[in-house]
Amino acid sequence: MLFYSFFNTLIGHSVTVELKNDLTISGKLVSVDQFLNIKLNDIKVLDQQKYPHMDSVKSCFIRGSVVRYVSLSKDLVDTALLQDATRREAQQPK
Amino acid sequence: MESFLPGTASLIDCVDKKLLVVLRDGRNLIGILRSYDQFANLVLQNTLERIIVNDCYGEKERGVFIIRGENVVLLGEVDKDKEQDGYPNLNKVSYEKIKELHEQEIKDKKARELQKQKILLERGFSEEFGDYDLY
Amino acid sequence: MADQEQPITNSVEEPLDLVRLSLDECIYVKMRGDRELKGRLHAYDQHLNMVLGDVEENITVVEFNEETNEEYIRKIQRAHDMLFVRGDGVILVSPPRRN
Repeated sequence: MLFYSFFNTLIGHSVTVELKNDLTISGKLVSVDQFLNIKLNDIKVLDQQKYPHMDSVKSCFIRGSVVRYVSLSKDLVDTALLQDATRREAQQPK
Repeated sequence: MESFLPGTASLIDCVDKKLLVVLRDGRNLIGILRSYDQFANLVLQNTLERIIVNDCYGEKERGVFIIRGENVVLLGEVDKDKEQDGYPNLNKVSYEKIKELHEQEIKDKKARELQKQKILLERGFSEEFGDYDLY
Repeated sequence: MADQEQPITNSVEEPLDLVRLSLDECIYVKMRGDRELKGRLHAYDQHLNMVLGDVEENITVVEFNEETNEEYIRKIQRAHDMLFVRGDGVILVSPPRRN
């Protein structure tokens, strides 16, 4: 649940999601679930020319399994806190 | 105990709305979402199937669709203000024609990918086990 | 008793322990799709989902010259401040070199 909690702290902020088909969408993070499915608002598609079908879409749901990366701004992340949380999670018996 | 959410990040807001669904093979479905579950399996009503290949597109009325979640890339909420019939910048062709172009595109993509992998394999990159779409 | 007070150990018993010891260090990640990443590891989980900071991404692409029918290999380099990487694309993680 580490990354689920992590993404929850990012709700309301702008992120850029790169999908495995190279489509890149930036937008405001609205919600996330335990599969790391993502909902974005006010979306903008990078390379709009290549993806004309996205023109009329303003908000979208992205299935977690098709995400390659989520690119974030540095100041949204408390790296010390994140490392501590990771160590704690790693210690938990599976 | 952490609250275990039902998954599929609040698709509830999208029920009974007109949605654009993008599938892994590049097809676009436009229809009204009637039901979904935690895997993002979907039921779409009054579905219009659209395929875009380069600067051409074609479409066909499809009725009710049940979509297996693993094939879903994304769901987009269609903005009514920006909604349009088709794509003014693209050429509309018959569904049969676009189907043909689409199949050809997938075939070409597969062939390109295979060729590419042969070259990259020599440089220490791994094989993608015959997947061409990398999902 | 002592075990409970000392939960975080430096022993390597399973593969992911090696990743744990790489926290806050620069690691190399090889990804599907002919991509390679170098960055500072801030978080990971059992799927190898990760958060990396100051990332340098290298993408290897093959391009064809239609006229000469020759193919050539090109490297694309990108930088990301902070990057979440989904674990299903990860092929290998290499800890920093310790001299």
